[in-house]
Amino acid sequence: MRCTILFLLLVIFTNTYSQEEKAKGSLTGSFESNSQYYLKDNKRSIEQPDKPFRSNSYLSLVYNYKSWTAGLQGEAYLPEALMNLNPKLKGIGVGTAYINYKSKKVDVTVGHFYEQFGSGLLFRTWEDRSLGINNAILGSRIIFSPTSAVQFTALGGRQRSGFSISDGLIIGFDADINISELLQKSKSEFSLGLSYLGRHEKTTLASPNFKEMTNGFSGRLDFSKNSFSSSVEYVHKSKDAILYDMMHINNNFVKPGNAVLINLGYTKKGTGFNLVLRRIENMSFLSEREPEVVGLTQSSLTFNDKLLNYIPSLTKQQHFSLANIYVYQAQKLVNLDPGTNIGKAGEVGGMIDFFYDFKKGSQLGGKNGTKLEITLSNYNNLSGDYTLYPPDYKTNFPGIGQKLYSDYSIEISKKIKSKWRGSLSFINQYYNNKWITGAANVTVKTNILATEWDYKVNKKTSLKWSAEHLWSGDDRGNWLSGLFEINLDTKLSFFASDMFNYGYDETNNLIDHSTDPFAIHFYNFGGSYKAGTFRLSANYGRQRGGLVCTGGICRFVVPSTGFGFSVSKSFRK
Amino acid sequence: MNKIIYLTFVFTIFSFRTQPDLPDLSLKSIDGKTYNLKKDFSEKNKLYVFSFWATWCVPCIRELAEISEVYDDWKNEINFEMIAVSVDDSRTKQKVSPLVNGKGWPYTVLLDTNNDLKRRLGIIDMPYIIVVKNNKIVYSHSGYSPGDEIELFEKMKTL
Repeated sequence: MRCTILFLLLVIFTNTYSQEEKAKGSLTGSFESNSQYYLKDNKRSIEQPDKPFRSNSYLSLVYNYKSWTAGLQGEAYLPEALMNLNPKLKGIGVGTAYINYKSKKVDVTVGHFYEQFGSGLLFRTWEDRSLGINNAILGSRIIFSPTSAVQFTALGGRQRSGFSISDGLIIGFDADINISELLQKSKSEFSLGLSYLGRHEKTTLASPNFKEMTNGFSGRLDFSKNSFSSSVEYVHKSKDAILYDMMHINNNFVKPGNAVLINLGYTKKGTGFNLVLRRIENMSFLSEREPEVVGLTQSSLTFNDKLLNYIPSLTKQQHFSLANIYVYQAQKLVNLDPGTNIGKAGEVGGMIDFFYDFKKGSQLGGKNGTKLEITLSNYNNLSGDYTLYPPDYKTNFPGIGQKLYSDYSIEISKKIKSKWRGSLSFINQYYNNKWITGAANVTVKTNILATEWDYKVNKKTSLKWSAEHLWSGDDRGNWLSGLFEINLDTKLSFFASDMFNYGYDETNNLIDHSTDPFAIHFYNFGGSYKAGTFRLSANYGRQRGGLVCTGGICRFVVPSTGFGFSVSKSFRK
Repeated sequence: MNKIIYLTFVFTIFSFRTQPDLPDLSLKSIDGKTYNLKKDFSEKNKLYVFSFWATWCVPCIRELAEISEVYDDWKNEINFEMIAVSVDDSRTKQKVSPLVNGKGWPYTVLLDTNNDLKRRLGIIDMPYIIVVKNNKIVYSHSGYSPGDEIELFEKMKTL
């Protein structure tokens, strides 16, 4: 059925296109398919799954004619979705579809839409294919801009979950006002934002201690002048039942939530500084109060389904592979666990970024200049009085409690002559597994040294290599990692990489004793071809199990060994 | 059967090639100004190169850094302007301005925070470059390997 609908819509699309050709409508779109062929790996005790070949494919089309735009995204998870993605992503169907009308002052959308209020702490819907997230709202949205300095948004609908929609009714309003533009002051930028997000969901409880309507409010101010910029955002979520065991609500555990985000920056040519501070308390906001049970033991929460707001971990997004083993996840959930004695209601912390350019010709800059980048981040639990049973808490403000995570990194990058370009990084991490994940009581401290270099052989051929080492006396001990890549004619590229956990010691206090209990090599080989906007790639290797994080949101992936293929193309007509 | 329909459609799509308009969307720059894609980048016969990038995308930064070093030389030869469109979301958005200034890039930098423009253009792999002339997208390219910037320059001379 879904397939027929999809096909019909595609036919309508292409036909509309050919009819409108003379009127100069335009069609843009993209196709992407990612697949895996999972293999048996005796050494890792991994069995081949029933359906070893799995793929996720997306075809997205946007047709525009004058003020009208229509969009459609078909998705296919055949014969099943990649392992550990939301099981609700199954088969073939229409993922999102919309029609939009836009004039100078009014913008109306009916169908699926993505929206973000402020930084997204109160409300954001978005798509992240690698995580299996697409939480667009199906409904309508009107954006009204009486002048370029003022914008009002009103929306309503239900949230997408898999190929269906979730129960909660969502209503939102946002006002974004550029005050300096209104007052015609061009020397500084001053803007104000006010938002509301409401979720209405019926409850089956006979006498609930909370309202069926949960209201979220936020206010934000942005100010910048010359080299200085600042912003502050505050979010309040009204009293609502809390998930006391990550699965169920408790009628006697009802509390409001809040978040504060402060940003200060100073930049001028050659120097950049930014400080961000954030405190969040009970800020998980879902389109349904209780997660849906999916599969045998998992919940929609595990798959980042039904999220209404975006709370990324504000830490450096590391690109070196060894710096991505112990990754922080923002603590948006309340968790009171008598089993582990953990009581947490959020997090408080921040991050500092500093960029500096040592000019060409200066002592440290040398002939081609040198770039320096320093990032520091630190997060703690909220201190306060936690009662594990019956669940209750009262936090302090700001309330710097148990340390959860820190990450200090420094990177120097440099071009040497015209052929070599490279960087050297040092990273120090502190990762408290028990307090971050609620599992094994292991605190990991790491020091990582990593370097990466590009070498231009000639105009169109280049080599890339990187080497990394991670020192740690905790968990799985030391790691060594390397990558070699060759780019031919800018179109073809081949790579080989390995991450070797040579420091593994089974007698150590480990986060996980059962997965890969030996000194493992995570090897990977592959190649890719790209031309214009087309890209094809294939690889073979081992995937480490655990958290895979993109954009500060993480999902668990199972350890696996196998082949991966992906193809993508953007097109327009 | 489903698969055949699906594949046929995909192959039809793959053969498409023409020059659509730049979408009528407005984005804010890092200094808080609002730019309309259609109106603010419309000088006749001038080439506007939009590079989609993010602070966490290493090849994107390499490409923008390489071009920044030859930017003035290129400008002497071609009437063009480079616009760096950051697709950083609110996790990394606050890094954009310090990074751009720290690296001393000469580009106009726009913020596509919830990826409306990125989705609209069907962008999947990053970095992604589009060259716009007289409001039409005349060239696009995804990914970056060292040497791609030379190809871009050669291509621009023919547009």
